[in-house]
Amino acid sequence: MTRFLDPAEAVSDLVPTAATVAVGGMHMSAAPMALVRELVRQEVRVGRLLTSPSASLQADLLIAARLVDEIMSPYVGFEHLGLAPSFRAAVEGGDLRVAECDEGSLTHALYAGAGGIPFLACPPGVELTDLPSVNEDFYRTAVDPFTGDERLVVPGIRPDVALVACAVADEDGNVAFDRFPFTDRLMALAAHTLIVQVERIVPAGSLADRPAGTTLPSFVVSAVVEVAGGCHPTGSPGSYPRDEQAIVAYLRAARNPAALAEWLDRAVRSFDEARGASVVAGLEEAT
Amino acid sequence: MSYGIQELMAVAMARSFVDGEVVVMGAVPGLPLAACRLAKATHAPNLSYIVGGSGTVNPEPEALPRSSCDPALSAAPCTLPLPEVVLLEGRGDALDVFCAGGLQIDAFGNCNLIAVGSWERPTLRGPGTVGLPFLPATRRSVLYTAAHTPRTMVERVDFVSGPGHPAHAGEDRPYRGTGPSLVVTPLATLDFDPESHRMRIASVHPGVTESAVRTATGFDLLAGPPPAETPPPTEEELAELRRIDPEGLLSEEED
Repeated sequence: MTRFLDPAEAVSDLVPTAATVAVGGMHMSAAPMALVRELVRQEVRVGRLLTSPSASLQADLLIAARLVDEIMSPYVGFEHLGLAPSFRAAVEGGDLRVAECDEGSLTHALYAGAGGIPFLACPPGVELTDLPSVNEDFYRTAVDPFTGDERLVVPGIRPDVALVACAVADEDGNVAFDRFPFTDRLMALAAHTLIVQVERIVPAGSLADRPAGTTLPSFVVSAVVEVAGGCHPTGSPGSYPRDEQAIVAYLRAARNPAALAEWLDRAVRSFDEARGASVVAGLEEAT
Repeated sequence: MSYGIQELMAVAMARSFVDGEVVVMGAVPGLPLAACRLAKATHAPNLSYIVGGSGTVNPEPEALPRSSCDPALSAAPCTLPLPEVVLLEGRGDALDVFCAGGLQIDAFGNCNLIAVGSWERPTLRGPGTVGLPFLPATRRSVLYTAAHTPRTMVERVDFVSGPGHPAHAGEDRPYRGTGPSLVVTPLATLDFDPESHRMRIASVHPGVTESAVRTATGFDLLAGPPPAETPPPTEEELAELRRIDPEGLLSEEED
């Protein structure tokens, strides 16, 4: 049965230390930031951080807080705003292990994990890159029994916990995405434990009029956490756009340790998630 | 009419798209999206384009978005869920042109979005390769960079994260792709010799000399006859481009 928890309860009850934690959200959209901030507040060490094909602040913040042992992500960056400062500094400084991967292989690995498929053969292409040579735990070769050709394969991945942000849940724990589910659905279905952060909770049965987006049934949802504005400063599809000023404030702070420590205290450790709704209220309505 | 360098790059890219092709692009989609829309509005009305990340097909936002997941893209006539963009990228006969770039691009069109220096302890860690391993599955790729310097245009990338020439050539190979067909930079357009697969100058932008392009390139571009000048945007192209980009995203100064 789906539990309805606040961020502090969800993290303390359901995210073990040193676990493989998958965090959703694509680029600067739909990152479950309230849950990510709670990981920082409770100083939960992440054994392996797994992300969507393209992550931004949800990954860089956890790295900035020095909570991540290893990252598996096809992209950590801020698009037009530049490279991810904490990810970059940690890798260049030798302080973060990287399980190098690409978008296609990671997506297929999550699909395999969600379906109980032990491994999948990659489409041709990755073997021409240097990726397999630096991540032999993920990319292996196998003989295609149908053709005899050697193929690159990747294992199914099942994260211990997935943290995903969606628009809305009903009181039974069914969850609806708004507009872009990205690869968050695969991450959600592959995880052993799924915590969904939503903008709001609506009465049971009231999602029946939006069947196309209501695609996570309550029986796969371990917990729903309602935090209006909880994706801020990333955007929440259908609710509010990314807050570029707030993201730039982080990027500036990350340039030096003292400013970063101050930012982490102010914007994360002492931030009251109940203020999220008023923080995003001033942002223009997403189209 | 005066124009910005990114506007010229968009025009050069747009002219390379053939009517009926399906184009896919990734992060920071402003330039390739402008090129696709310009091509579709001029010589390639049956062009299709996918803004990766959002998975939107043929979106016509009121202004060019900075992010590939911008809410302004959601008004697209069709949207592919991202896992299914990945399926079609791998299928190999669905997509014609992959627009890509890198921290480094080399003489054979290999791209590197991962690491400059050693992978273990890079001097510059890039964001990661995202979908660039799909380049050999796509029929061809168009590469672009906002910085044409000896540091970005190198003889050999430090890490191959997006395969270039000539690895996918050969009839017995499982790759549909014919490799990079065009490289668009702020100084020139470049293509690849069909025999050696090495990069050469296709055209120099107005006001740029061939020697300036060679000096800005960290490897020896193939010698050839003096290159032509990139034809500047026509008035029609420029008017269309500014309708697509009313906020002047392509006219902003590069960092």
